[in-house]
Amino acid sequence: MKHSFIALIEDKCTSCMLCVRECPAWCIHLDSHTVDVTEEGARRPRKVNVLDSFEIDYSLCMYCGVCIDVCPFDALAWDEHRALVTNNREDMLLGIEELGPSGSS
Amino acid sequence: MPRSSTWEKVEPADWRSTIEELREKGFIFFDFLTGVDQENVDGNNACEVVAHLATKDLSNSHFVTTQVLDELPSITDLIPAAQWYERECTEMFGVKFIGGSAKPLLRHENLGRPPLRKSTVLAARVLTPWPGAAEPEIKEDGRKVGNASRRRQRPPGVPDNWLQT
Ligand code: SF4
Ligand code: SF4
Repeated sequence: MKHSFIALIEDKCTSCMLCVRECPAWCIHLDSHTVDVTEEGARRPRKVNVLDSFEIDYSLCMYCGVCIDVCPFDALAWDEHRALVTNNREDMLLGIEELGPSGSS
Repeated sequence: MPRSSTWEKVEPADWRSTIEELREKGFIFFDFLTGVDQENVDGNNACEVVAHLATKDLSNSHFVTTQVLDELPSITDLIPAAQWYERECTEMFGVKFIGGSAKPLLRHENLGRPPLRKSTVLAARVLTPWPGAAEPEIKEDGRKVGNASRRRQRPPGVPDNWLQT
């Protein structure tokens, strides 16, 4: 496995913010909201986080792997993708779609 | 990689003589010298200096460490190649090497505190909005959506009394 990319397995992410807070480069940005989910038999609805956006700024990421280490849900993993070489800083800001693990898209 | 490595901790007063003895014993390959911040280890804001030397065939290597408060005798007259590392250690960790050069390698001479010490507050951390301030119902800029009531988290490395927007 090459350590050339941090992939996000969207389904596993609970928007817990741990990776965002531990990232030494401050390069992960996450936006989420909560919804109430009522389960049968439950006395009151449960709050569930819904991930709205997840971005890694690859112009700042130093591939330290801290985010992968701290994620309690294994939602981040090393991957063989590469962030593109570009002249435009905006292009290095990758969102949920681009961060999917290789093979998934 | 050397087949066997040993570690030794010495007093600053014995720093030069230890390195000199090592060279006499055949540890003539100087690998590196660097600092390790010890602020959270013993509370007195010390810095550890580490030097790594090996035998010519790299079969044995030896790490020498010493705890310094701010200065240490230079070893550049024994090992000229150590000068680059001592200058880097001065620039990044603020350890002065008596008898050596203090000329910075990368930074401007008057640029303030050594950046690799934990006690140095990185100004950019105060000026940059911290992505970790967001919560499911709080945006990165602190705006609340929904009925969030959690106390806002603070970024690591920014003192409590510093303004964070
Ligand atoms: S690898 Fe390191 S720098 Fe890159 S996003 Fe993860 S924690 Fe941040
Ligand atoms: S640590 Fe894992 S689960 Fe938590 S926000 Fe980051 S990717 Fe998602």
